[in-house]
Amino acid sequence: MSNLSFPRPRQSEVGERLRAEVREFLDDFDWRGDPQAASVFGGYDPEFSEALGARGWIGMGFPQRYGGGGYGLVERYVVMEELLAARAPITAHSVADRQSGQLLLRFGSESQREEILPHIAAGKSYFCIGMSEPDSGSDLASVRTRATKVDGGWLVNGAKIWTTNAHRSHYMILLCRTSPASQERHAGLSQFLVDMKTPGIVCRQIENIAGGQEFNEVHLQDAFLPDEALIGVEGDGWKQVTSELAFERSGPERFLSHLSVLEEFVRVLKSQPSAVGARALGRLVAHLTTLRRMSRSVATMIADGQDAALHAALVKDLGTCFEQEIPEILRLALQAEPDPNASDAYRAALAHVVLNAPSSTIRGGTKEVLRGIVAKGLGLR
Amino acid sequence: MDDETREMLHETATSIFAEGPPDLWEVLQSVGIDKALVPESKGGVGVSWAIACELLGIAGKHAAPVPMAEAMIGHWLLDIAGVEGAKLPTIAFSPPLEPVRLSRSGNEWHVDGALVRVPWGSSCTHVAFMSEGPAAQLIVVARDSSGVSIKAGQNLAGEPRDDMTLESVAPLAVVPVPFESNSLLAISAVMRSALMAGAIERALELTVDYANMRVQFGRPIGKFQAVQQNIAVLATQAAAARAATEAGSEAIDDWILGVEESLMRSVAVASAKIRTGEAAGEAAAISHQVFGAIGFTEEHELHRFTKRLWSWRDEYGSEAVWADVLGESILCNESEKTLWRTLAPTRSSLDIGATR
Repeated sequence: MSNLSFPRPRQSEVGERLRAEVREFLDDFDWRGDPQAASVFGGYDPEFSEALGARGWIGMGFPQRYGGGGYGLVERYVVMEELLAARAPITAHSVADRQSGQLLLRFGSESQREEILPHIAAGKSYFCIGMSEPDSGSDLASVRTRATKVDGGWLVNGAKIWTTNAHRSHYMILLCRTSPASQERHAGLSQFLVDMKTPGIVCRQIENIAGGQEFNEVHLQDAFLPDEALIGVEGDGWKQVTSELAFERSGPERFLSHLSVLEEFVRVLKSQPSAVGARALGRLVAHLTTLRRMSRSVATMIADGQDAALHAALVKDLGTCFEQEIPEILRLALQAEPDPNASDAYRAALAHVVLNAPSSTIRGGTKEVLRGIVAKGLGLR
Repeated sequence: MDDETREMLHETATSIFAEGPPDLWEVLQSVGIDKALVPESKGGVGVSWAIACELLGIAGKHAAPVPMAEAMIGHWLLDIAGVEGAKLPTIAFSPPLEPVRLSRSGNEWHVDGALVRVPWGSSCTHVAFMSEGPAAQLIVVARDSSGVSIKAGQNLAGEPRDDMTLESVAPLAVVPVPFESNSLLAISAVMRSALMAGAIERALELTVDYANMRVQFGRPIGKFQAVQQNIAVLATQAAAARAATEAGSEAIDDWILGVEESLMRSVAVASAKIRTGEAAGEAAAISHQVFGAIGFTEEHELHRFTKRLWSWRDEYGSEAVWADVLGESILCNESEKTLWRTLAPTRSSLDIGATR
């Protein structure tokens, strides 16, 4: 059985100073995000992203020569949770900041790093992630999009789906096959840094049940990628992807994306006292605060160079199930019909959460897949 | 307390519990576990509450039938009260609406009232409890004092929970304390959480071992995804219980240092009992489900853990009681701060330095 104990999260003095600074910045910044339509992922606002970049709060972990602040992961975590808790519009740069930048830093070539990372850190370069395909969701190793070697580069053919913000990203990190599938399922996969302006790439937006338009289907037809677009070593794609997922799964976005409805719930209860409401709030806060500690603990592990893949899977499962439970608990504690167009902020936020709830336990790894990972870590299977 | 001492305490406790000698409690007392929270200068070990809770986790993991939490808190209180030489102090509470009555004639104190479901009430030598009201008093009574009568009882796991009646009992000590009377409830709740977190971890270990061993339909049941998914949920509950308990125990240390103002208004304390209590129910249900009929027998050891979990989650306040406390304390907050900024206050570097 693997060690499933979570180390005590580390408090950092620098981080706590940053927390106060970020709060001041958020209180002063004039961002007119539409609070009622506050998306699960926050709004998309390049102006905000650039202002944040100017403060040095994107790519915080990049070395200074790439435009980063040389901060540790624990400090970055503080900034992330403050932005999420305030529902700041971070969607434009968040994938680049959280995943793609880290990936390039670890596996990218020197010229990729020099060219891209400073733009990410400035809040000017946005990424999407081309992993899922119409026939490859949870079973990621079965991707069929193919890059075929040609003179001076690669020709890519295939289709990606559920690619968040592909239509307004500058780059995609593309996972595809560079050699045919063999017995070793995870071999023969590679990742590329793809300029979204490359001829042969077409995005089609897909609307979700909550009215969000972030999803895309991306078709790649004879899209030519130069040799320099390959990330790291050919055939290392799987290794790169799995290391990336620990970042995707461990973050505060896995339990803070529905905080807005809790804030509104508190506001209502303060003017309309209810014993049932207070009890529901107490229970939800107990879950929230415990999840936060576990998530910070994972950040501490990653910062210390420990393998946190199993811990991250566990926290994501717990966090997303909690998020999904929020509307079910609230609706029984306070009578209110969810309505995205309601002028009452609580009802609008509730509608938003009800409609987005199904996605929590799907994106970033379904709960079944995550529990499979945990079971394996426990020594089952 | 350096890491080495902490490590040594862990090893000592683990090996004693694993061996489980017939005179377990005497052995634990001989190494000073019961006085772990008493300062070294007073003959104790002087551990933090966080470490005390880790030791309780080990006790919970072994379903040890000993009054460890009660004696740890009891000795800590008796030290404050200046009562020396107690062999086995326990802690007690009066029923919510019938506080004990403290009266004074001349220089003599007398205490009347009921203390309910006192852990190891029959076998203790001393009992420590609080009077209610704004000027809280800590009261220590010797069990063999005249006017003390005891009616034995027990919880689901067979641990003694005895009702005590006090009739004009002369206490050994009555001392004013600089904290709210229900701080003792908060401390006791965190200590129960620590025991639960340990018992849940053991339930998980037993369940994983059994799932890997028990063969049905030609393979170990742990190979079935339906079973795996349930055990994975059990593991998430175990991890959450541990995390919530650690946070609660650290909050007591912060409170002792004066960083945390009130234990009853501490988010971490209430969360510890709420989250761990909830995990206890889920963990017990899943482990019994995996064990099937054999786990439902008196002969099998699983119930030593699950019965304790079913008892402990309701002792010193169920999830509902603490959810009320936590919810109300957030809603009573007059400030315009958001929920988030209440839960994640900016801490001064001084505070960080004090606690870590």
